[in-house]
Amino acid sequence: MSRYRFLDTAGLIFLAVVLAMAVLIPASNLLLPPDNPLHVPDYLVPLLGKYLAFAMLALALDLVWGYCGILSLGHGAFFALGGYAMGMYLMRQIGPRGVYGNPILPDFMVFLNYKDLPWFWLGFDHFWFAAVMVIAVPGLLAFGFGWLAFRSRVTGVYLSIITQALTFALMLAFFRNDMGFGGNNGLTDFKDILGFPVQAQGTRAALFALTALALCGAYLISRWVVTSKLGKVVVAVRDAESRTRFIGYRVENYKLVVFTLSAMLAGVAGALYVPQVGIINPSEFAPANSIEAVIWVAVGGRGTLVGAALGAFLVNAGKTWFTGVLPEFWLFALGALFVLTTLLMPKGIVGAVSDLLGLRRKSELPSAPPAAPAPPPAAAPAE
Amino acid sequence: MASIRNRASTLAALLVLLGLTFWGAISPAVADPLDDALAGFTTDKYDDTEKAIQGVVATAAPTGKAIFEALAAGRLVFDPESKSVLIKDAAGKLTLAKTGEAAPADLASRPLKTVRANNRIRRAVEAASGAFELQDPNPRKRIDAARAVFKSRDPAALKAIETALATEKDAAAKEALQQARAAIILGKADAPEADRVAAADLVADVGDQDALAALRSLPPGSPQTVKDAADAGIASIERWLSVANAFQDVTFGVALGSVLLLAAIGLAITFGVMGVINMAHGEMVMIGAYTTFLTQRLIHSYLPAIDGASLIIAIPAAFVVAGAVGVLIERTVIRFLYGRPLETLLATWGVSLILQQAVRTMFGPTNQAVSTPEWLQGSVSLMGVSLNWNRVAIVLFALGVFFALLLLLKRTSLGLKVRAVTQNRRMAASMGIRTPWVDAMTFGLGSGVAGIAGVALSQIDNVSPNLGQSYIIDSFLVVVFGGVGNLWGTLVGAMTIGVANKLLEPWAGAVLGKIILLVAIILFIQKKPRGLFALKGRFVDA
Amino acid sequence: MRNVIRGALAAGALAAAAFAGAASAQAQETIKVGILHSLSGTMAISETTLKDAMLMLIDEQNKKGGVLGKKLEPVVVDPASNWPLFAEKARELISNQKVSVVFGCWTSVSRKSVLPVFKELNSVLFYPVQYEGEESERNVFYTGAAPNQQAIPAVDYLMKEEGVQRWVLAGTDYVYPRTTNKILEAYLKDKGVAAEDIMINYTPFGHSDWQTIVSDIKKFGSAGKKTAVVSTINGDANVPFYKELGNQGVKATDIPVVAFSVGEEELAGIDTKPLVGHLAAWNYFESVDTPENKAFIDAWHAFTKNPKRVTNDPMEAHYIGFNMWVKAVEKAKSADPDKVIDALPGVEQANLTGGVSKMLPNHHITKPVLIGEIKEDGQFDVVEKTPDLVPGDAWSDFLPGSKDLEADWVGKKCGNFNTKTGKCGGQGS
Repeated sequence: MSRYRFLDTAGLIFLAVVLAMAVLIPASNLLLPPDNPLHVPDYLVPLLGKYLAFAMLALALDLVWGYCGILSLGHGAFFALGGYAMGMYLMRQIGPRGVYGNPILPDFMVFLNYKDLPWFWLGFDHFWFAAVMVIAVPGLLAFGFGWLAFRSRVTGVYLSIITQALTFALMLAFFRNDMGFGGNNGLTDFKDILGFPVQAQGTRAALFALTALALCGAYLISRWVVTSKLGKVVVAVRDAESRTRFIGYRVENYKLVVFTLSAMLAGVAGALYVPQVGIINPSEFAPANSIEAVIWVAVGGRGTLVGAALGAFLVNAGKTWFTGVLPEFWLFALGALFVLTTLLMPKGIVGAVSDLLGLRRKSELPSAPPAAPAPPPAAAPAE
Repeated sequence: MASIRNRASTLAALLVLLGLTFWGAISPAVADPLDDALAGFTTDKYDDTEKAIQGVVATAAPTGKAIFEALAAGRLVFDPESKSVLIKDAAGKLTLAKTGEAAPADLASRPLKTVRANNRIRRAVEAASGAFELQDPNPRKRIDAARAVFKSRDPAALKAIETALATEKDAAAKEALQQARAAIILGKADAPEADRVAAADLVADVGDQDALAALRSLPPGSPQTVKDAADAGIASIERWLSVANAFQDVTFGVALGSVLLLAAIGLAITFGVMGVINMAHGEMVMIGAYTTFLTQRLIHSYLPAIDGASLIIAIPAAFVVAGAVGVLIERTVIRFLYGRPLETLLATWGVSLILQQAVRTMFGPTNQAVSTPEWLQGSVSLMGVSLNWNRVAIVLFALGVFFALLLLLKRTSLGLKVRAVTQNRRMAASMGIRTPWVDAMTFGLGSGVAGIAGVALSQIDNVSPNLGQSYIIDSFLVVVFGGVGNLWGTLVGAMTIGVANKLLEPWAGAVLGKIILLVAIILFIQKKPRGLFALKGRFVDA
Repeated sequence: MRNVIRGALAAGALAAAAFAGAASAQAQETIKVGILHSLSGTMAISETTLKDAMLMLIDEQNKKGGVLGKKLEPVVVDPASNWPLFAEKARELISNQKVSVVFGCWTSVSRKSVLPVFKELNSVLFYPVQYEGEESERNVFYTGAAPNQQAIPAVDYLMKEEGVQRWVLAGTDYVYPRTTNKILEAYLKDKGVAAEDIMINYTPFGHSDWQTIVSDIKKFGSAGKKTAVVSTINGDANVPFYKELGNQGVKATDIPVVAFSVGEEELAGIDTKPLVGHLAAWNYFESVDTPENKAFIDAWHAFTKNPKRVTNDPMEAHYIGFNMWVKAVEKAKSADPDKVIDALPGVEQANLTGGVSKMLPNHHITKPVLIGEIKEDGQFDVVEKTPDLVPGDAWSDFLPGSKDLEADWVGKKCGNFNTKTGKCGGQGS
C-alpha cells in the first residue's frame, strides 16, 4: 500500500530529478562554456528557479487542498508575506548604495520623509531574523485565521471566499504607501544576499540549488505528514468531516496544523522567489495569483504532491513560452489549457498519465481524492 | 482675476442694454458696432473673443442669444477670408450671425473655422446668456438664472435682479430672485448694515453649499452685526449639513449597494442556485456592457431618431447575447462538471481568460465610449441632498431586476423546475423534468442577468476587457456574505456592504475603509459560517 | 507509479525542447529592437498602442533602408501587466534574443522592476511615459515628462488664467502621484497658498466608486474661492471619475480638473460631452497643427488601417526616442549599447509640435509643455504652450531629499551627484 510507504517510486524519482537539477543546472551554467550545447544559458537559471519556487507553493497548496479538502484561494498571501520578509532583509542590505545614499532608510522611505525606520522594519538587517520571520509571519497569520475559521466550522466555498477576501485585503493594505512597505513599487533594486551580490551568476546558481533543495525538503515534510497518522486523519476529514468529528477527533486542530504548516511552506517559497525575480510588490497578493496556484495543482493532479509541483512547473513554462511566441494570443492558449485539462483530465496530468497506461494495481489506489468531495451547497433559492 | 472683472463688465454692459431693450427702446441694431464686435470672433484669440462677447451684448443684437448659444455649443463658425461670422444650427444649416438670414451658398461652401471657447469664454457666455434668461418666459429658466446669480454673487447683476423682481409674478421665481438679491447685498460693503443683516438671514435660509460659500466670503471690514448674522447662519447651515451629509452617505451607500447587487445577482443564480463557482461571471457582465456599446452605435448610425431609447433597447439585447453565451458555455463545458464544483472554478477561469482576450482582439484593449442619454443626466434635490438621476435609475433598476428574478423563480413553471433540479436532480428527472434543458436555461438566465448588469455598469464604469475582473471578487463576497442560495441574502448583503462602505469612507478613507470592511466580513463569517441568511435543512451539509 | 514519472519526464523534455526552440533564434544580419509593453492584463489598455506605434516606426525606418545598412527586427513580448514578468521578459529580450535596445514599460513599478536587469546586462531602455523623476540611470533614457515638464506649468496656467486659489490634489496611491503632489504642495506653499486651501486625496488603483470623493470636492470648492482639481488619477479609475463628475454636475466652469494621465486614448472611452473644458497638461496633443504631426497621424492611420485611432503623448515620446536612438546608432556607427549610451546625449530630434528636442546629459529630454482643454470630440484644444522647450529635471528642486542632487552622465558619469558634498552617491549621511 503505497499510501503508507514514506516514499513511493514517484516520490523517489521526483526527488532524484529535483536533486539532479540542483546539481547539474548550476554546474552546467557555471562550468561549461556558453557555446557548449549542454550549457544552460544565464537567463534560464533564475527562470527555472522561479518555477521551482512556484512548485513549492503548489506543493503547499496541495497539502491543504488535496489532502485536507481546504480550497484556499488566498495562498498567494502567505507566499507574498514570506517574500516581503525576505525583501525587507534585502532592502536593508542595500545600505548606502540607494539613490539617495541613506545608510539606514530604504529609498522609498527617504522619499516619503520618514525620519526613522518604522518599528516593524527593525531586526531585518539580520538574516537569521528575516529567516525566522519568513516562516513566522505566514505561520502566525494562518494560525490566527485558521483558529477562527475552523473553530467556527467555516467550510467549503465560504472558506474559499474568505481566504480570497484575506489576500485581497492584504493587497489593498500593501498598496497603501502609508503602510511603509513601498506601496505599489514594492521592494526592488536588491544588491546583496548574505554578502554575495544577487546579480552575480554564482549567487543565482546557488539560489537555484537552494530552491531545488528546499523543494525536496518541502516534499519530504509534506510526504511525512500525509503518510503519518496525522495524514490519515486529515484525509478522513477531507472525505467525511462530520463522520470524523463524530468518531471523536478534534477536526479543527488537525486542519489548523496542516493549514499552518502549508502557509509556512508557502512563505519559504516566497522568500526564495524574491531574490531570484528581484522584486516583491503588492500584486503578488492579487486574488488572481492565488487562483492560478490552484490551477497549477489541478493541472498537475490534485492530492499527489508530485503532480502539484509538476503542474506549477509546466503551466509556468508554458506561460513563458506562450507570452514569447504568441504575445497576442497566449491567453487563448492558456484558457483552453485550463478548460481542456478539467474536461479531459479531471485528475490532472499525473492522474491521466497513470490512468492511460492502466498499470496501477487495485491495491495501489491513487491517492487522488474521489471526484466529488464536497457537493455544491445547492439549495432552494429565495427561501 | 481678469476673468471675474471681465465677466462683471460684460454683465453690467448687458444689463444696461437689456433694460433699454425691454423698456421699449428697441431700435434696429446699428450696423457698425455689431460688425466691429463680430470681427472679434474671427481672430482666433480668446481675448478678442471675450471682447466680442461684450461687444455683442453692448449692441443688444436680436441674434445675440442665438450667437451665445452657438458659441457655447461650438457651432459659431467664421470664414477666415471674408471674416463673416455664421451660426450653424444643430442640423448644420448656416445663418448669418449679423442678421439671422440664411447664409449665401458660396459662403457655406468655404472652409469654415469654429470660434474656439475655453473656460473663460464659456463663463463669459454663461454670464451673458444668464442675464438674458432672467427675462425668459419660462419660470423654470428664470429660477435657474437666479440660482446662477446666487452662486456667482456678481454685484453687477443686482440691477437686473431688481428689475426682474419688480415684474416677477411666479412665487418660486420671486423667492429665488430675492435670495439672489440677498446674496449680492450681503457681500456688498456699501449696502446699509440692516439690509445686510436681513440678507444674511435670508441667505442662511437657503441652507446649501452655495449659501455657505456666500456667508463665508464676507468682504473684510464688514460690521460686527453682519459678521454675527453670517456666523449664526453658518452655524445653522453646518448643523443641518451634518445631518444631510449622513443622509447623503446613506444614499451613496444604497447606490453602491445597488451596483453590487446588480453585479452579484447573476452570480446568485449560477453560483448560489446551481453551485457553479463561476469565475466567468464578470465576463458576462462585460459582454453585456459591450452589447450596450454596440447597440448604441448601431442605433446611432441607423436609427438616430430613437437615440435616447438605445439604452432601453440594450437591456433585452444584453440579456439575449450574454444569455446565449452562457447557454453555450453550459452546453460545452459546465454540463460535464456537475457535482465537481471546484473544478468548475478552473474551467470557468479558463473560459474567462478566453472571453477577455476574445473581446480584446475584437474591440481592441481600449475603453469604449457609452454615452448617457439626456433623460438620465441631471439631479434632483431632496432635503438639501442632491440625488443623481443616473444613480436613482440604477437603484430602481437593480430592485426591478431583483424582484423580476424572484418572481420568475417562485411563480413560473421554469422557476419551479429550476428549484426542483437544484434540490434533487435525480428525483426531478424521475418526475419527467428535462434536467439538461433546465440546467442550460438556468445558467443562461444567470448569465443573461449578468449581461443586464453590464448595461447599467456601462453608465458608471469603464467598458473595457477588464470590466468583469473588477467586480468578480465583490460579487462573490456579496453572495457568500448574504448566504449562498438565497436571493434575499444577496439583496441584504449587497445593501449592507454598500452602505457600510460609504459610511466608513469619509471616516477612514477609500482604501482603509475597504480593508476594514473586508476584515469585518471575514470576522462575520466566523460568527455566521453560512452567511446572513443561512439555509436550514438537510441539503445544507449534503 | 513509474509511468507517472515517465510521463512527467517526457513533459519536462518537451518543455525543454520548447525553450531550445525559442532560444535558437534566426541569425540574420538585422538589428533587433525589443518591445516590452503589456498586451494583456490591466495595463494593456494603454500599452498596446505603444507596441503598435513602435512597430510602425520600425517599419518606416526599414522602408528608409534600416540603420547602418541593416534592417531592424522588432521582437515583441507580452509582460502581461505582471511586474516580475517584466524583469523576466527584459532578461529574455537582452540575453536570449540579443536585442540592441528595448522600448518599453509604462508604470513606474515596471520600470523599477527591469532596472536591475538593464544595469546587469548593460543594455538600453527607452521609457516613454511621464513619471515622477527622482531617478537617472545610465542605461535608461527618459523620453516622457519629468514633473517640471508637466505639473508645474499646468498649475501656473490655472493660477494665471483661471485665478485658482484653492487646490484639490487627487491621485492614485502610488509613487508618481505621491511625488507630483509633494512637489506641487511645496510649490503652491511657495506661492503663498495656505495649507487649508490644499486638499490631498489618494485612492487605490482601479477605484470605481467616486461618489463620496466627488461630493467632497464639491464641498471643498464651495468655500468661496476659485477651486481646481489637479488629478494624477491613473488609468482605469479615470473613466468612472469623469463620469461621476458629469453625473454630479461639476462643470469645468465651476471646478476645472487638470489631469496629467488623461490623453486622447483615455478620452476615446468616455462620453466627453459633460467634460468639455476640463484640462490636461502634456507635451503633445493630437490636435497640434504642424506638418510633422499631420504626417505622423496619417502614417498611423495608414499603419493601423483605422482612420479613427488617436495618437497621444507617449507615442510621441517613442517617436522622439526611436529617432534619437537611430541617430545615435548612426553617430556611433554601431548598435553596441555602450557606444549608443555615449552617443545619445546631445542628439537632437524634431518633435511633433514644432520644436527640436534634445537629449540631455541627465538622460531626460527637452520638451514643450502644452495645456489643452477637452473638446466635445474627445480631442484637446491647446490653450497654452510654453514659449521655450523645458529641460527635464531628474531631481526635483522642490523636494528636500533631492534638491542638491544632479544627474550628469557625460561629465560626471553619475546619476545622483550631490552638489553640496561634491560626491557621487546621493545624500550621504
